[in-house]
Amino acid sequence: MKVVKENAGALTNFEVLDFLNSRGASKDTTRVIAPIARSEYKVYDYLVETAACTQTRESVNRFAEKCKDFKVAKAEILNIINLRPSSIVELTPILEDLDNREGEVDSNGILELVNDLLPPLPTTESHKKNDEEETENGEES
Amino acid sequence: MFYLSELEHTLRVPPHLLNLPLEDAIKLVLQDLFLDKVLAKWKLGLCVSIYDIKSVEGGLVLPGDGAATYKVVFRVIVFRPFVGEVISAKFKESDANGLRLTLGFFEDIYVLVPHMPKPNRCEPDPYNRKQMRWVWMYGEPEEDFIIDDSCQIKFRVESISYPSVPTERSEDAKPFAPMVITGNLNDDGLGPVSWWESFDAITQEESTHS
Repeated sequence: MKVVKENAGALTNFEVLDFLNSRGASKDTTRVIAPIARSEYKVYDYLVETAACTQTRESVNRFAEKCKDFKVAKAEILNIINLRPSSIVELTPILEDLDNREGEVDSNGILELVNDLLPPLPTTESHKKNDEEETENGEES
Repeated sequence: MFYLSELEHTLRVPPHLLNLPLEDAIKLVLQDLFLDKVLAKWKLGLCVSIYDIKSVEGGLVLPGDGAATYKVVFRVIVFRPFVGEVISAKFKESDANGLRLTLGFFEDIYVLVPHMPKPNRCEPDPYNRKQMRWVWMYGEPEEDFIIDDSCQIKFRVESISYPSVPTERSEDAKPFAPMVITGNLNDDGLGPVSWWESFDAITQEESTHS
């Protein structure tokens, strides 16, 4: 094996989820039908629990575009999209060395942008809905 | 967290796959070879999925071989977190050396004692005799924050290492892990998610009162 390009681009969680979805991955219990390996389903199972499950290509692109106005690194933007911080305390660990960048980085502005453009995580409400569905189906474990 | 990497590989497509369209056949071989494998030699991380095939060359049948050999350039999705990235994971186990976290598809994430939230203490877990439990002691008056499997745990990537395959192994050794991530919990906003939900409520209350 030869490595042509070690880094041919970073992917957000959303893009990986979207790729697996496009190949037919779904929450369906009959997982044999889609041509997806078990290890890929493990990744899928992790990703559907994250903020990526409510994001759309449009919202992610717009967010990344708008984020360029703030002085944050690309990797940090990626991390913000993946985690979708909704409060300052969630945002601070993502931004490196925030104390020394106090004047440069407008963390409140970033949070506003997150709120505007990235859909919120499925809340407890939707969890409840899932639970109901599960009991209705009576099959899911 | 995830990256695309472009690779080139010369591979053998066995005759029983040749009834499929060539690209599908090659994809199957590539999946067998790379899926769920850590490309440790090149420090590329864990191969999660075959993304696409860029070019196929050859189709050579080597003397004495019944299979066709192709040179393929393709892209794979790899899981390769960068140092400083914050990832949310689930609790797996904890002992006197620290915590072990899991992402479901990747389970070799360790948080060692120096990276635990400070000040802390380690005590026997009342619910599980085999485990030790870590407790963060914080606030005035001091309050106990227990690290357990009740919710997601956020950690920051401290380092990624690719240990070499050991030549000798003791009987009771853990299964060999080709890629190990060391995490850090010792910062605001890191650790179990539930710790910080209430923290937000408090600060918001304070700000509305003031």
